[in-house]
Parts: sequence; structure tokens; C-alpha cells
Amino acid sequence: MIEAKKVINELEKRYTRLVGTSATNLCTHCGWCIESCHIYKATGNPEHSPVAKAEKVRKVLKRKHDWLSRVFPKWTGAADLSEKDIDDWIEAAFKNCTLCERCVVNCPMAVETPQILGAARGVLTSMGKNPEILTQLTDSAIAREENLKMMEGFFRKQIQKLEKQVQDKLGDPKASIPISEEADILYVPLSGVHTMIPAATIFNAANASWSMSLFEASNYGLFIADIPKAKKIVERILKEAERVKAKTLVVTECGHAYGVLKWEAPKWFNKKFDFEVKSLLEVMDDYVSQGLLQIDPSKNPEPVTYHDPCNMGRKGGIFEEPRRVIQAASMDYREMTPNRVENFCCGGGAGLVACSDWTEERLLYGSTKVDQIRDIKVSKVVTACDNCLHQIQELGEKNDLGITVSNVSQYLVNALVIPERGKIEKDKILQA
Amino acid sequence: MISEKFTHFVEYELQAIAIAWMIILYTIKAIQLSRLPMPWEKETKKGNSTKGVMISYASIFMPWAVESSRDHFWRWLGFALYHVGCLVAIVNTFTFTFTPELMTPTVKIVFSILIAPAILIGFLKFIRRLIRPEIRYISTPDDYFSLLSLQLFFFTGIMALLTNTPFWRSSYYIVTAAFLFYVPFSKISHYVYFFFARFLTGKRYGWRGIIPQNTTK
Repeated sequence: MIEAKKVINELEKRYTRLVGTSATNLCTHCGWCIESCHIYKATGNPEHSPVAKAEKVRKVLKRKHDWLSRVFPKWTGAADLSEKDIDDWIEAAFKNCTLCERCVVNCPMAVETPQILGAARGVLTSMGKNPEILTQLTDSAIAREENLKMMEGFFRKQIQKLEKQVQDKLGDPKASIPISEEADILYVPLSGVHTMIPAATIFNAANASWSMSLFEASNYGLFIADIPKAKKIVERILKEAERVKAKTLVVTECGHAYGVLKWEAPKWFNKKFDFEVKSLLEVMDDYVSQGLLQIDPSKNPEPVTYHDPCNMGRKGGIFEEPRRVIQAASMDYREMTPNRVENFCCGGGAGLVACSDWTEERLLYGSTKVDQIRDIKVSKVVTACDNCLHQIQELGEKNDLGITVSNVSQYLVNALVIPERGKIEKDKILQA
Repeated sequence: MISEKFTHFVEYELQAIAIAWMIILYTIKAIQLSRLPMPWEKETKKGNSTKGVMISYASIFMPWAVESSRDHFWRWLGFALYHVGCLVAIVNTFTFTFTPELMTPTVKIVFSILIAPAILIGFLKFIRRLIRPEIRYISTPDDYFSLLSLQLFFFTGIMALLTNTPFWRSSYYIVTAAFLFYVPFSKISHYVYFFFARFLTGKRYGWRGIIPQNTTK
């Protein structure tokens, strides 16, 4: 049995102005959002439309806050919270919505459905009803700081091995991966080496003052809407950035991590940080436009496209930077339609890619993305988010798209022109 | 036979009471909303929040700018004509009473022509709500009732304009007053919340450089 009062209290804690505005009579049930949702498009199930999903939570909020719904709930579709509602919320908020905000962009009223479903995620988490894997991933990130001493030695050894790969790639034995040292840039990767080696190669090639964080950028606290835990995960990075006197915190190619560190964390901590927060995409764009990197686009001759991760684009404002980088490093860049603010979610966002119980559904939710990729006949898809990367890889395999998928930094590094070591030494002598 | 006193009452006193009622309720609602926590952006802005808000408001008038309008132009046109009809019917409640000298036969015909499509579109909206499973699924009694009450508002408005008889004038104003009493409780209030919602979303999108899309460099 659920404790309805407790659930309502949890919901009330998340009743912000955005949620409040969207949970009132703002939504006219016009249905304009319906076809904008990749999940509805994939299933055609009326329950999967953004408005229907929001309504599952909104009906409870209306019962409490809407005057007419308090007296005549059936008239407005409002209802008291029931046991079934909780199951419906799990489906609506965790399984059948990737919080991509495409519905917000297409709603004539700007109803913030993801805010409502995000609030439901938080309530479900407080009840222990969220997907367990997302909590485990959140807790493991927190545990990393708690066991830092034990973990640090092992991490440094691993990075030494990677450093060798960077040196080989650049043909420069002095190329390095400094860890948590004083530098202008503190780069925060993910746990995968594909977010470390290419970035390290680029920083070294651009001769940047940088070091790599001891921590990973990923923050599953956001996906379960557990803000205290999400803050804890962020806090360790903020402390490290202060300790190494970083001027810029550079977040790897991870959509939600960028969103958290760039936009959400300053709100959670109610302050502007002393350092700038940038995505690796912006930094690469700067290096390319400043001519700090030598690029040979002929090294990437295959037709390529860019998938806008929702957290980077529609929620983060990064659209052109990755395009400029890819176009500089490519012979045949093609644009998916629609793109940028209207781009379709890959279907794996908001933690869905980690929930193995829902793999079948997730791959179905990516069907619009499959059609988009197929339409432009590319053999490579580049993206800037690990969740998107895994999802598109799986979509490609399942649907025989014949594509390879990489992140932007990997793609750029593939086109880097590495001067011969003798020439580097000669240049240095000439410069001296 | 409708007395002149009654007609005067429904045109003036009743309307004043209904409008005051609506203003009071909306004021309460606005205060309630403004008291809710609103975490504003703290990070240095990447775009322009003022432009974001302006574009957010304007996008409703730019069918080419939003996919849901662009890909369904006829639906958008119906939406536009419907709201023009609403606006004219509302304006008419004032001009009919306070500026009768402006209400020449030509103006009355023009007003009627502008309101009439809204009746047809309202009917189509009603049918769409009934027959499309995905729309029927999300529809509530308030949705159907709001549509029908607006139909009545438009119809009595046109009849009042065309006949100018005490019966239709009184009917129009009684429907208007009933409508004003009901509106703050129904989804028809979206025209007020629209300004709050589009402001909040536009400000955030503008601040983050999402709209207008940041294409600097």
C-alpha cells in the first residue's frame, strides 16, 4: 500500500513555478504535441503521447491545486492518487519519456511536460520505485569520492598506459595526461577511454594547459531526480576545479553531464562558479577556428552526419560548434532532417540506455532516428553524448544501417595531421 | 417580452460583476504561481533571454518556425481563425455596449464574418476530439463543455450582431457573463497562463542560446 500523503508531500516539494504553470489549465489537450514525440511515433499508443503522460501526474496535481478539480474532479480529469498511478508514473516518467523536450518546442502553449515527469521521477525515487540500476550508478559515482585514496593509485596507473597511446598517436614522447594538477583547464571525462584518449590527443596537439579530473562527469542523480545526490556528485568536481585553480572546466562529450555542470549545478548551488564551464565541443571548435590543429579532411572521406544530443542542443544550446568541427574534418557532411532544436531524440536518453529491462522498447523508440539516418545514406554517425552513441550503435546493428558511430573528438583526431617528430624539433628550434 | 431594465442589467452590471470576478480569481492565481519557487539561471548566458522571450511569444504567429504548425498548416490556420473569432467576439461585448456609434451595419457584418468561421472550426474540433483515439484519450468533460460553451458564445454573438433584438442581445450578454464566471476554472484560462509559460520557457531558451539558435562565430 502506498502512503498517499507521503507521495503528495514529495510531489509538493517539486511543485516549482514551471511545474505549477504546466500543471494548471495551461494545457488545452489540443494534441499538437502528440506527433512530436518519438515514442508516440514509434508505438502509436495514445498512452505514449506527451500530453497523456503528463496527464497521469497532472491529474493528481490538479486535484490538489486546481479549484474546479477540488470540487468536481471527474469534470477536469483530476483524481486522487491511487496505487495504479504509481505504476503508471514509472511507465510514463522512466520508461516512456526521455525528457527530450521536443514536445515543449512543439507545444503552442509551451507546456513543460518534462518538468512534470521529472517531478514524478523524483517522487518515485524517494519511494524507491525508480529503476535500480540508475540508483546504483548514482551511488557508485558517490562511492568513488569516498574511496578516492584506494582508487586513485589504480586510476593513475591506467592513465599512464593511455598516455603511451597518446604519445604514439602524436609521435611526441612528451605528450602527457596530467591528472588533477594545476592548469588552466580541468577536463572531466567519462569512465570510458574513448572520452580520454581523443581529448588528451587534442589538448596535447593544441599545446593546452590542462589536466584531467580524477572523477567522471556522468551524473545519474539527474536521471533519478535525486538532487541531493546529484549535488554531491557535482561537488567533488567543483572542489577539484577550485583546488587546481582551473579557469575553465571542460566537460566531455556527455549530454546530461554538460547540462548538469553548465546549467543545473549553478542553480542547485545558487551561485555562479569562479570558473567557466564549457563543453569539449566548444573547446574543439575554438582550437579549429584558431588554427591550433592541423586537419586533413581527406582522412574522413565517408559520408557523415551529426546527431544532436537533446541535452547538448535543445536543452543546452550547443548546435553549431560540433558541426563546424565535423565539417572541418570531413569530406562529405550531410545533415539529418529535422535537426538542431527540432532533432529527434535517439530513444535512449534520460537513463533509458542503462535500463536493460527496457531494451526492446528503447530500440523501438529509436525507430524515427533509424529512418532519419537511413534517409541520408551515411556510413558514419557522429554524436556528442555517450548514451546517444550506445543507442545509435545498437540501432545500427539491429536495423542493418551499415554505420559506425563515434564521438566528435574521435572523429576529429582521426583527421589530425601529425607533423613528423623531426619537423616538430625543427620548428621548436626555429621558434627559439 | 424582455424589459429594457433587464437588458441594461445584463449588458452593464452583470458584465462588470463577471469581469471583476474573473480579475480577482486570476489575481489570486497569479499570486499563487509567483510564490512558487523558481530557480533562475545562474550561469553566464550564452544567448539573449529577451530575444528568447520575444521569439517564444511570436512563434505562435509564425507557422513556418515550429514543426507542429509547419507540418499541419491547415490545423494552424484553423487555430488562427478560431482565435480571431474569439477575439472579435470578446471585443464585440465591449464595442456593442460602449461604442454603439461604431457598430455600423458594415462593421456588424465584418464582425459576423470574422466570428462565423470559429463556429465551423469549433464544430470540426469537437468532431476531431470524438473520432481521433489519441485525442479522445486525453479529453475530459471540461474539454467538450468548453468547446460547446464557446460555440454558444459565438452563435449568440452573431445573432446579436445581425438582429440587434433585445432577446439576442440579452442572450449574448448572459452567455458572456456565464462564460466569464466559468473561464477562470476551466482550460479556457490557457490564454492567461500562456503568457507565464511562454515567458518562462522563452527566457530559459534564450539564456541558453537555444532560441534564437546560437550561430555566432
